[in-house]
Amino acid sequence: MPYPAQRRFQSPSFALPALSATLALSLSLGAQAQKVETISIGVAVAQTSNTALLGQEQVIGAKFAEKFLNGRGGINGTPFKLVFQDTGGDEAGAINAFQNLITKDRVLGIVGPTLSQQAFASDPIAERAKVPVMGPSNTAKGIPQIGNFIARVSAPVAVVAPNAVRQALKLDPKIKEVAVLYAQNDAFSTSETGTFQQTAKDQGLTVATVQKFQTTDTDFTTQVTAVLNAKVDLVIISGLAADGGNLVKQLRQLGYKGLIIGGNGLNTSNMFPVCQKLCDGVIIAQAYSPAQGSAANQVFVKEYTAQYKKAPPQFAAQAYAGVQVMVEALKVIDRKKKLNTWELDDLRVELNKQILLGKYSTPLGPIAFDKEGEVIQKEFFVAQIKMKDAKTGSFVYLK
Amino acid sequence: MTDFLSTYGFLIVTMLQAGLLGLSLYFPLQAGQLSLASPGFYSLGGYVAAILLTNPAFAGLRDTLGNAMFPLTWLVAAVLAGLLGLLVGVPALRLRGIYLALATIAFVEVLRVISLNLSITGGAIGLFGIPQPFGIVDRWQYVFIFGPLLILTLLFARQMERSRVGRALRAIREDELAADAMGVPPTRYKVLAFVTGAVLAGIVGAMSAPLLSSWNARQGTFDASIAILAFVLIGGSRHTWGPVVGGALLTAVPEVLRFLADWRLVINGLVLVVASLYLPQGIVGALEKLGRPRPPQRPTPVKPAEVRP
Repeated sequence: MPYPAQRRFQSPSFALPALSATLALSLSLGAQAQKVETISIGVAVAQTSNTALLGQEQVIGAKFAEKFLNGRGGINGTPFKLVFQDTGGDEAGAINAFQNLITKDRVLGIVGPTLSQQAFASDPIAERAKVPVMGPSNTAKGIPQIGNFIARVSAPVAVVAPNAVRQALKLDPKIKEVAVLYAQNDAFSTSETGTFQQTAKDQGLTVATVQKFQTTDTDFTTQVTAVLNAKVDLVIISGLAADGGNLVKQLRQLGYKGLIIGGNGLNTSNMFPVCQKLCDGVIIAQAYSPAQGSAANQVFVKEYTAQYKKAPPQFAAQAYAGVQVMVEALKVIDRKKKLNTWELDDLRVELNKQILLGKYSTPLGPIAFDKEGEVIQKEFFVAQIKMKDAKTGSFVYLK
Repeated sequence: MTDFLSTYGFLIVTMLQAGLLGLSLYFPLQAGQLSLASPGFYSLGGYVAAILLTNPAFAGLRDTLGNAMFPLTWLVAAVLAGLLGLLVGVPALRLRGIYLALATIAFVEVLRVISLNLSITGGAIGLFGIPQPFGIVDRWQYVFIFGPLLILTLLFARQMERSRVGRALRAIREDELAADAMGVPPTRYKVLAFVTGAVLAGIVGAMSAPLLSSWNARQGTFDASIAILAFVLIGGSRHTWGPVVGGALLTAVPEVLRFLADWRLVINGLVLVVASLYLPQGIVGALEKLGRPRPPQRPTPVKPAEVRP
């Protein structure tokens, strides 16, 4: 087979001139306004650093969207392209990734970044350059308010968490005392725990103890002892997969028998290897469930499962939804005026306008946006973990 | 040119910033003190600026001062970092070598956990929506803020090295006991060097808060301590330019190599390993050696003349 060998030989020598050519091109074409040549959408998520645990799922979701939506005709027959830039886990990385996407890759819009803290640093850059941003997993308060060009598909925690508490009360109406635990160094968990505590009070429950931990902790003896001493009937945990899983495990091992609610950060099968059989019965608040009944979601779940041999996780579904919203908005614009006749800057502004106007049927269910860019999502889910054996389990949707 | 600046402008600014943070660690190192406390003061400075610039309690002050508010944040950050440096430095600098390093790591962690638990610092989310100083619209314009500070710091470091203080610091670095015996009070000079570094890190933090538009507890972490230490060691710990070169290089490498995707981190690691293996004096140290004339060599022994009978 001479062809693959030849190809392998050629690729590095080909890559260098191409690279310098694009560099020269991007330098020389500088300031003057330019028509839109290729339809590219930027994806800036954490592909490296410890945030990559979430970012990798987003990459898979976005790549799946590119393949699947292009397979269905792309933007009225023209395929679109995703450009990935790694943000790493810090603010400077997110700003650099955004700058690259805006000026070098000349994307129409950006899906990203992964963390809310990164969004507070990088979104003002896009706002100033008038490039629409769709946050796939930024759940902190104040994200859409950064500017007109900032929207998100990730529902803020305030709306997801209360459902789980109501569901727990349905399972065991005798619950009176609650212990709340949260990861104090995680932005998502700290805002989520506020909602959980408020909901518990609104439902007439007593918050007997509030315990803090760090996402990097592995030993939770202090927190578990405090919970056991408080003699509670319900434990609510806001954390991430590894720490949350360990906490569940140690609670059970030290003899806690009551119900456990896990926040949205525990909505991932990455937790199963950590607490194994002891994960069983944990109630999880979900912003996305593969059980969501819409046709859009069922096709997504079927295709995704066929390709990756597992049901899509929440971060993948949200990243998919982010890309889908941009593509559908572009389709509408394209029908009015062909995309390749637009000036890049005008198209970015128009895309932002169209994103906020449209209604989308995504795997998250039907969604739309208010005029600030906040997602309006109708359905949230509560699931209970059922473990089949030590390694495999599933989220069983609770009605 | 505008495209280049808007793509890489932010990177250039972060290179300057890294150099400045490297210098803040270089000052105590001049007295032979391995302190990893810089990110703590950097984080403190950033919080001071972020609170002064966003907290509603200071709205009146902001309105009356306008742009003069920004230099005020630098000043307040410098003073607070200096005071905290004094407070931490006096007991901590009784420790030496690795123990001082451990104590300063603990200090950074303590500050981090405090900032996570206070409501004025915004907890884990931190503070956001920090306004831009002096009508800055693009991130590259921060060169005009960080650049002058870097030049001033380099001049200051040069003058200090040539002064009595610089000689005292070097004496302590080489042999503390001998320096003490010669009448150089080690504690006073060590604290002085430590506080100088703290003030610099505090000012850099106060300037960085608007640069990132947001500030949170992830700015001052153990990871940052190690990164800053790497700037100094790779650049060269015995030369003023060392931390600047090291900081700029290690910040730029992963960004300039962005097209290599995940491989860029491998290259970054390689630079670290190769530089520390083959350039023990750092990059600047190695360059300096090149410039110096070779030390005189022992002449090759002349063969004794053959004596024929």
